[in-house]
Amino acid sequence: MSSGVGRLRTGLDRAAAKMLDATVLERIGIAIGSTALALLIGLVIVAASGYDPIQFANQLVVGSFGSERAIARTLRYSTLFVLAGVSVAIAFRAGVFNIGVQGQFIVGGFATVVSIVSLAPYLPDGTIGGVALMVIGTIAAIVAGGLYAALPGVLKAYGGANEIITTIMLNFIAIGFVGWLVAGRFGDPEATATRTERMPDTVGFPSVVFDDPNLSIVGILVTVVVVVVVAAVMTRTSFGYDMVTSGYQESAATYSGVDAKRMIVSTMTFSGMVAGLGGAIFAIMIQGYFTDPSGIGNYGFDAIAVSLLAANNPLGVVPAGLLFGGLESSSSHIQINSDVPVQLIDGIVGLVVLFVAVPELFRMIARRTGLGGESR
Amino acid sequence: MTTSNVPPAVRLEGITKRFGDVVANDDVDFTLEKGSIHAVLGENGSGKTTLMSVLYGLYDQDEGEIVIDGEPRAVESPRDAMAAGVGMIHQHFQLVETMTVLQNIVLGHEPTENGLVDESAARDDVEEICSRYDFDVDEFLDTRVEELDLGAQQRVEIVKSLYRGAEILILDEPTAVLTPQEVESLMAVMNDLRADGRSLIFISHKLDEALGIADDITVLRDGEAIGTVRAEDTDEQELARMMVGREVLFDRLSREAEPGDPALEVEELWMSGDRGRDQVQGVDLTVREGEILGIAGVQGNGQSELVEGITGLRSVDDGSIRLGNEEITDRSRRARIESGIAYIPEDRQTEGLVQEYSLVRNALLGNQTVEPYATGGRIDWSAVKDHAEEIIEEFDVQPPTVENDAESLSGGNQQKFIVGREIGHDPDVMIAAHPTRGVDIGSIEFIHNRLIELREEGLAILVVSSKLEEIQKLSDRIAVMYEGEFVDVVDPERVTEEELGLLMTGGSLEDDVTEETETDTEAQA
Repeated sequence: MSSGVGRLRTGLDRAAAKMLDATVLERIGIAIGSTALALLIGLVIVAASGYDPIQFANQLVVGSFGSERAIARTLRYSTLFVLAGVSVAIAFRAGVFNIGVQGQFIVGGFATVVSIVSLAPYLPDGTIGGVALMVIGTIAAIVAGGLYAALPGVLKAYGGANEIITTIMLNFIAIGFVGWLVAGRFGDPEATATRTERMPDTVGFPSVVFDDPNLSIVGILVTVVVVVVVAAVMTRTSFGYDMVTSGYQESAATYSGVDAKRMIVSTMTFSGMVAGLGGAIFAIMIQGYFTDPSGIGNYGFDAIAVSLLAANNPLGVVPAGLLFGGLESSSSHIQINSDVPVQLIDGIVGLVVLFVAVPELFRMIARRTGLGGESR
Repeated sequence: MTTSNVPPAVRLEGITKRFGDVVANDDVDFTLEKGSIHAVLGENGSGKTTLMSVLYGLYDQDEGEIVIDGEPRAVESPRDAMAAGVGMIHQHFQLVETMTVLQNIVLGHEPTENGLVDESAARDDVEEICSRYDFDVDEFLDTRVEELDLGAQQRVEIVKSLYRGAEILILDEPTAVLTPQEVESLMAVMNDLRADGRSLIFISHKLDEALGIADDITVLRDGEAIGTVRAEDTDEQELARMMVGREVLFDRLSREAEPGDPALEVEELWMSGDRGRDQVQGVDLTVREGEILGIAGVQGNGQSELVEGITGLRSVDDGSIRLGNEEITDRSRRARIESGIAYIPEDRQTEGLVQEYSLVRNALLGNQTVEPYATGGRIDWSAVKDHAEEIIEEFDVQPPTVENDAESLSGGNQQKFIVGREIGHDPDVMIAAHPTRGVDIGSIEFIHNRLIELREEGLAILVVSSKLEEIQKLSDRIAVMYEGEFVDVVDPERVTEEELGLLMTGGSLEDDVTEETETDTEAQA
């Protein structure tokens, strides 16, 4: 080993040890500090590009929490980020790298729309029929998301295929295949845009709060329930203990009676079910139909950053998801209300993502590679 | 010993190395004469590798001095060691598998011209070394390392050390991964290197290999240098005694209960290991209620695989395992835990405990489907916490705080916690693999006494250990395992450690200590 590499290794080792030893409070501090620092650098870039940084900062806040509409928009985005983030967190905590949440989200949402549109003629009109359709559609999404994630799980467990690669590939397959179906077999010939038929009017959550047609208390409640249930499964059930232990130390999990292969498949399925549910909420609460999946937003990808920021803790995903929802909301506000180019806004949002995710990412890599001391 | 006035290649004086409360090397002296091969013999855990790692700069000694070619040296890193002409061939090769042989050999010491790697100069240098020692490595310089077999990879490692100018070579158990033919060619290489005036340290636990190649042999036991002998003046008997024997007398714990019905029966068990070949070859064993069966053997002779087969961590190729009257060969690990097999694992750091879990969470490990800790899939954390507190109190785990992470405990306390947890399963059969490895004296006594108590309570216990005194002290019968088979079953009251040592290293005994077994030809436990 050359000396340069040796020194680099020692340095990394020391940094990794520090990261691994950080307490929960320190980690929260790191996250808040990173966010602030990223925003500060973002403002400097805005100023350097010739725009008013103070105004930009102001719009950042106004755009996410400044008005009832802004808050509703923030919550709407946050709901999706939290659900997708929980999905990622489940897999990461178990030591399985599900990068395919985007694909599972799409497959889930599409399954909801298809099942509801095709069953609607057979069910009575009115509230009861609508509720029944939504229940069926949501179950369809959970099943579809779960199965779509189980596939790379099986490939990893029984074929040794790296799940990072297969899940990324399956994202593209989901986007392409669902896009093809939306444009063809399931497309609405009347519509100008590429999309499916609209779901019946009885399908949709009542807004109740904020009077925003695309935000419903039901969606928020479902999200909260999912977070609580997933957190409880992880900390209070044998299955959760098996799962989390596999993520910490697979050999110890095996010693304690966990079937490692089956665990990989269960974890992926569980993760995909939550992603699919996110897709259902997206379809029912926000869209009302399903569009070409290449243009629906990167919830499943950004969810990786959300989960990392939350240290893969399902409860931590809530504030992390709110931050991402807020940034997304601000960015659409700034696009409309200022002349700052959209690329710059995306760049600054990206900076925040980078800053907040890197410390956690580093911690995970350290754990995987044995940096910062052995047997962690 | 030698008459020349050339200073020895290496002299280690009073080397002491501690890891926490474990003393890995205790005041060890060692001298490697120039142009000789010096074997360091000892059982696993006797401190051989630690001592050599100190010489190679991987560890800093706590006390003692390293003298190389007559000069005291501060060897703080492998770089210092290489600068002093010391190279080490590790058990696990330090090669980049995806790079070619040539790239691996020159890595970090590339000859350069105008800032670029001068590949032809590198090639010439390596070819010169190969032709000098008649190595075949130059025939596959452009092959990627991952395509080579282990013997060839080892020769690449040796060439790499020579390329870096190593005059002194440390070979850490070099024969462990080789086939018999490869061992032979390695021995030839070592002879050539010695003839060329290089000095070699050969770490091994195989007596015949040491006797066959070495000039001097130093035996380590429990971190101490027991003695150094000339190979020509000694024999396997003496070495075996030095390696494992302390006194012929030993202090067996008294026992009252007589063994009862068979609790664990293994028949004709065949298993493959990680290396693919038959690691367990047709083993038969029976452990009765209220009996401790000890399995003695040098590490790597199939004991680990056998234990993993019984506990359900590794699949078996053929044969059957019965618990009481139930056939459990096809049961999962979890089902076996639930049916009453407790297991103190060989590796407490990676298997027995989750290092980053608190002791409370660790108390659940293996218990997560067992009442009262979990009912219908739901964990009762207060029951688990009570259990953790019981373990800590009964087994005197220090510091006695259940909220502490497992990694903050010393090895002995970690082990006591595991023993406590496994006994807490209320098992019918206890499998204890190296139950006191790396554990301090006080804890050893404690763990031994608990195992004997369990025996008196009627448990069937299987103990695997490479520490013979432990096996002798605990066992009612001792099965000796060598190369995947039980070579003999002996009575601990009548066998000496020397005889056991001989059996473990492939020798055989006069019949007088062999227990009269039911079968006539094969050893059955």
